[in-house]
Amino acid sequence: MNLIRAIAAALLVLCTSSFGLAQAQERTAVRQGFTLPPNSGKTILLFRPTIRVGAQSTGGMFEPNADWTAQGREHMGVSLRQLQDRLGNRVIEASEPIGEQALLVAEHMALFAAVSSSVINYQFFVGNRLPTKKRDNRNDVFEWTLGPQVARLPGAADADYGLFIYTEDQYGSTGRKVLQAFAMLGGVGVQSGVHSGYAGLVDLKTGELLWLNADGKMGGDVRTPEGAEKRMRQLLEEFPGSSVQTAPAA
Amino acid sequence: MRPMVRLLAAVAAMATLGAANPEREFDLPTYTGAYQPQNVDERGMWMVDDESERLTRDSRLVIRDEALNNYVHSVLCRAVGNDRCGGVRIYILRVPVFNANMSPNGTMRVYSGLLLRMRNEAELASILGHEFAHFEMRHSLDEFRRKRSTSDLLAWTAVLGTLAATYGGGSTQSYGDFRISVYGALFRFSRDQEREADILGFSYMAEAKYRPSAASEVWRSAMNEADATSTGRALRGQRYDKTAFFATHPTNLERADYLSALANRVPGGEYEGRNAYQAALAPWLDQFLEDQIKLNDFAGTEYLITRLGAEEWTAPLLLARAELYRLRANPRDLPNAVEFYRQALTLNPDLPTAYRGMGLSLMRMDRKSEATPSLSRYLELKPDALDADMIRSLVAPQ
Repeated sequence: MNLIRAIAAALLVLCTSSFGLAQAQERTAVRQGFTLPPNSGKTILLFRPTIRVGAQSTGGMFEPNADWTAQGREHMGVSLRQLQDRLGNRVIEASEPIGEQALLVAEHMALFAAVSSSVINYQFFVGNRLPTKKRDNRNDVFEWTLGPQVARLPGAADADYGLFIYTEDQYGSTGRKVLQAFAMLGGVGVQSGVHSGYAGLVDLKTGELLWLNADGKMGGDVRTPEGAEKRMRQLLEEFPGSSVQTAPAA
Repeated sequence: MRPMVRLLAAVAAMATLGAANPEREFDLPTYTGAYQPQNVDERGMWMVDDESERLTRDSRLVIRDEALNNYVHSVLCRAVGNDRCGGVRIYILRVPVFNANMSPNGTMRVYSGLLLRMRNEAELASILGHEFAHFEMRHSLDEFRRKRSTSDLLAWTAVLGTLAATYGGGSTQSYGDFRISVYGALFRFSRDQEREADILGFSYMAEAKYRPSAASEVWRSAMNEADATSTGRALRGQRYDKTAFFATHPTNLERADYLSALANRVPGGEYEGRNAYQAALAPWLDQFLEDQIKLNDFAGTEYLITRLGAEEWTAPLLLARAELYRLRANPRDLPNAVEFYRQALTLNPDLPTAYRGMGLSLMRMDRKSEATPSLSRYLELKPDALDADMIRSLVAPQ
């Protein structure tokens, strides 16, 4: 009886804290046949990264923090440009579109988020395969696309690839850490903090997804320049044609 | 007995909120515009809200018709006053659901389903005023903090409960009870906010000279429509005399009751603005009715259409009712549909969809000789319609 109660309580804690088991590992995939030699001088169009930085309350709620998010956006932008310069690529930031183009960009951002979460949920991690993707998984085929409409995106004509970046950081509050310590005494695992992110490269002519890197446990404190650089290295790990040194694990 | 108790409770709640002097009860508090978020929590919320406003702004669901947007904005301004409405961004979303909300950074989202259900400007003003009151009282921030402390407490309860279970000490049962009472407090808190917003909403209505009883009529019709929907779907109707444990809003009955009690005391005006409202909505009425019919909620939609039609049966309403019956398509529905199409065409003989629907209904009733003229008329009026070829094949002699 006690055991059942303990399990029920543990489940409740898991439910109130927000993290997916599937994202607790890191995976990368590159489309077959796609190579990008170093210093190939390609132009990469960076869409407005989705960056959320905040704290995690004792009960596991996300407490967004505007200052931390602004710092993360600033620092990660700087380190992205530095890293891509070293790869020999030119990163241009997509200008803020208006009118019909803004709708088009918003739709494609949402589409990219949907496609990449499908990749992460159904291809990257075993045990949750989509029936239509089983054969691809067996043969290590990585074939996903946003469709040729991406060529109509503003700025697509002047660039080769589009880069999408998503990061979410929830720094465990003191209360959460104390709860974690107590929970350990009770034999319950409570996770403190969420640090996940993914980045993807899309061919702006065909819409094909060329590369995707997802990591549910990222390192680097994005609120500082050094930490943001480490985070960006991890996000761009195994970027095609990459000589970016692999960052040490978190 | 029960309604009396409820009434007294509402009046008591009012007394604590309103000024001691009953004549000043509905005076508006002073308002400071261009408010900026003050602390970490609030700044964080606004940041998330700004991002979500970007998404809303760039969504295809937004109706960008300037005339309609200007009108809804002008109703808000009339309701809450020009000093308050200036900074509000209104997004009208094409979603056939009875809803509107306002978030901390001053974004107001109005659903097309709400616009369809309002019969006049006073009803719309009562909803917009209510949402604005949540915003003015910064309810979201309180709710966020309340949710956080509640979930903190629950996490501790869960962990301590586990400790108690593991070490055999304490009673896990009492922790369980505690959890339930904590949840209850959270949802009650949210219902209190609704009441506060309703009362401030009335103060706006009074100031703007709208007819105050419009507010309670909105909630009565919401209740009746929900009842119609559940009866139509053979579900058990919602109970309005008790508040469900998890309800975030007061029951609609309680709300309608205390709103009409309040309405009797508010020194409001008589302005209803029915014609202005109908004129502003006219270009969109067909579209909104079509979206509603596609919800496949026969009884709820029938209630909604007859409520709007109770004031005056217009051609768009009759057409929508006809379509509703034709699409349910029981044999007994088709004669009704034909009759409604006929009435719609009497009021407005240039409705291609009415000729189409009438023809198809008659065809379905095996009255081909009557159906053919209707369908031919449809083809005359709309020769390039998407289904023109299909209709032509029906009309052609076999």
